[in-house]
Amino acid sequence: MFELIRPDTHFDFIGKWKYCVAGSIAIILLGLAAIPIKGIRWGIDFIGGTEVQVRFADGVKADEGKIRDVVQSVGVGEPSVVRYGEATNPEFLIRFQSGSEEQGVEQNLIVDHIQKALTEQVGALSVDRVEYVGPKVGAELRSNGAKALLIAFALILVYVGFRFSIEFAPGGVIALVHDVLVTSSIWLLCGQQFDLQVLASLLALIGYSINDTIVIFDRIREVMGVHTKQDLPAVINQAINQTLSRTILTSGATLLAVIALVVLGGEVIYPFAATMAIGIVVGSYSTVYIASPIMLLLTGRKNAGESKPAPKAKKSGKQAKARA
Amino acid sequence: MSGSRWRVAGVVASLLLFGWYTLANFIPASVRKESLWFPDQGIRLGLDLQGGIHWVLGPDLAVAIEHELDVLRASLQESLTEKKVTPARIAVENGQLRIEAARPEDTATIREVALESKVLEAATPDGSELVFKLTPAWEREVRHRSIEQMLEVVRRRVDDPIQGIPESVVTRQGDDRVLVQIPGGQLDREQARNLLQKTGFLEFKIVLDEAPSEEVLRKRHEEGLPPETVIVFEKEKGSDRVLGAYLVAKAPNLTGESLTDARSGMDPRYGWVVNFTFNSEGATKFGKLTGDNVGKRLAILLDGQVYSAPNLQTRIGGGRGFIHGRFDSQSAADLSVILRAGSLPVPMKIEEERTIGPALGADSIRGGIWASLLGFGLVAAFAMVYYRLAGVYATAGLLANVVFLLGVMGMAGATLTMPGIAGLVLTVGMAIDANVIIYERIRDELRAGKLPRGAIRTGFSKAFWTVMDANITTLLAGLVLFQYGTGPIKGFAVTLCIGIITSVYSSLVIPRLLFELYPGNRPVQTLSI
Repeated sequence: MFELIRPDTHFDFIGKWKYCVAGSIAIILLGLAAIPIKGIRWGIDFIGGTEVQVRFADGVKADEGKIRDVVQSVGVGEPSVVRYGEATNPEFLIRFQSGSEEQGVEQNLIVDHIQKALTEQVGALSVDRVEYVGPKVGAELRSNGAKALLIAFALILVYVGFRFSIEFAPGGVIALVHDVLVTSSIWLLCGQQFDLQVLASLLALIGYSINDTIVIFDRIREVMGVHTKQDLPAVINQAINQTLSRTILTSGATLLAVIALVVLGGEVIYPFAATMAIGIVVGSYSTVYIASPIMLLLTGRKNAGESKPAPKAKKSGKQAKARA
Repeated sequence: MSGSRWRVAGVVASLLLFGWYTLANFIPASVRKESLWFPDQGIRLGLDLQGGIHWVLGPDLAVAIEHELDVLRASLQESLTEKKVTPARIAVENGQLRIEAARPEDTATIREVALESKVLEAATPDGSELVFKLTPAWEREVRHRSIEQMLEVVRRRVDDPIQGIPESVVTRQGDDRVLVQIPGGQLDREQARNLLQKTGFLEFKIVLDEAPSEEVLRKRHEEGLPPETVIVFEKEKGSDRVLGAYLVAKAPNLTGESLTDARSGMDPRYGWVVNFTFNSEGATKFGKLTGDNVGKRLAILLDGQVYSAPNLQTRIGGGRGFIHGRFDSQSAADLSVILRAGSLPVPMKIEEERTIGPALGADSIRGGIWASLLGFGLVAAFAMVYYRLAGVYATAGLLANVVFLLGVMGMAGATLTMPGIAGLVLTVGMAIDANVIIYERIRDELRAGKLPRGAIRTGFSKAFWTVMDANITTLLAGLVLFQYGTGPIKGFAVTLCIGIITSVYSSLVIPRLLFELYPGNRPVQTLSI
């Protein structure tokens, strides 16, 4: 058998929980602190605005400053222009808030004006992508996004509460909230923008990330039922060690697939793939280092002092036995 | 063994069926349609992959409400006249109907008549004027009606049998929007705008007076324009220079509503023209209108602008005519489509746009294919290196999963978007999760001293609910995304949801069956896992 983690490993996970919780809180605080300083870079999906991606023909000499001037000359205020792609075939992303709409010019026409002006003053180009989100639609996407996130949380909690002991819920929820917060903090600290794709990725992530947590919690209950004399930290450590290879393998396999997307998927899907990859790593870390200590803190205290586990724990231990 | 034989037959049959549908997706649609063997329908590529225009159009409901108030104003005025009340002023402004009573004693009557309709309610009065607005219920009704009409008209324009845009989709989005998707660079954005956003309101009006410019015309009517008349203009194409000003009645003598057909065509004298045909009722009216006004000019207006104003030399019978002026072949064709489809009840705004050029779409397809292959390869390599024979079985399950997923999507005619491809790659990664859970459990059982056969059986049965729980939570997230997602994100939700279901089936059933085939009942002592 090819084994990544030997079945008799005994890492002391619980002993290090304070550092880990501190580390996670630090990342989240850093993310929060960055909001007033750097501001959240919301995608146009949520705040409204226009994005135009243009690709110039071979040999056209273009730079950000020149393009910004041309775009401003058609009456767009404060456009942001970012260059990417190879040097020979320069691609630019032009982004602006739709301020000119009040002056009665439809955004749709402005894009045509920009295209015309750039062709005349810079060189031949093709418009690869136009995305426009009006203020009304932006507000709707924002509220729908928040709603979707909350509903997904609620549904998963209800399911977990229904299928397992309700005592799992607090640790599980905190681990999920942790995953969402840490993943978005890392993403925002990298200076990336928060758009619909990132939201979709976070949603898929919470559905995915709860599973590891459940498996470990289950194993904790199972071990509790067998080793009634041990104190809770030892039980939790044993449970984490027993499921460690599983936790690493499942996340690792999914991560392999997602990394393929990050590397080869192309620019369009990059935000989704990258946040998913971050989230999978954060999710398995939180399962081991965040969810279990919280369970220890919240539900453990009352059991830890007793020599025997509470009858309820025994019962759910039996239920858990039937599970991997 | 006979039980497992049936199961093998079932799995093979389902693989063949879905494999067929999967295969069909790789065959060009034209070949598919002609062949009896292949299903007509297949997976549709989202606009983000094939390129195209994606517009969400919203009606300008303020205009719809003003229209409605205008109608109400007219009927209100009629009722008031019956009661011998003539208001000093009655006007529609800012979504409100404002009435100023000529005599103080009229106020009560006006209020009574206005509220009688049950569609108006009193708003806060403003100075000496009575102010009314639509009741919320009636406003909803007006909104609903305009969005329905809009959907109908846009659909007719896009699906036009002669000039329509193939493969385009017009659907309602939410309560008050229309989503239009035009794939693959068939139109540029300007053409699309002309076709979709043009109101297309055609009017025929007898010219009462004319002059080369507005000033000249106004000078001739220094005492003010005659009641219920307006000045309309004929402008040069492109430059907007005024070619002529015409005095016409406010109300049209005839509108485009009575047209049955319109075609673009060449006329030796005028170049590109749009020929139109009235229905029988329209033809009678048109005959009478032209017969009664021989010698005068008839202004043909589109969206309030004069296109041409021919001299009526004789009565025009048969209900046929044509519009000329400022057309090229494209604009004549566009106008004929618009006239055939009817006019939009209210103007529309583009509220959301996600347009992708074909080049970027092709980039995405290429990226998606390579990422899927690499993702699949990495996961399969991991499984086979780590779990040996069992890993080969898991890989077979993965392959079956892809076949089922693409087959189901093809059968349902689902749309594959770039995030959808990401969902597919993600399901491949998550499908192997199930096998890891099962195999780790089997290893636990083997370590505990069980024989391979027993370990396999216990492993699969004990891991079953863990696999289910893991997938159900993700499915819940997927369903929420489907409900709240739009466009490409919805595509992600679709592949994620279908993929979760197919992956549970293929990772639980296929490896299990392969284990039954080998080692099966053979008394092996070790298991390659």
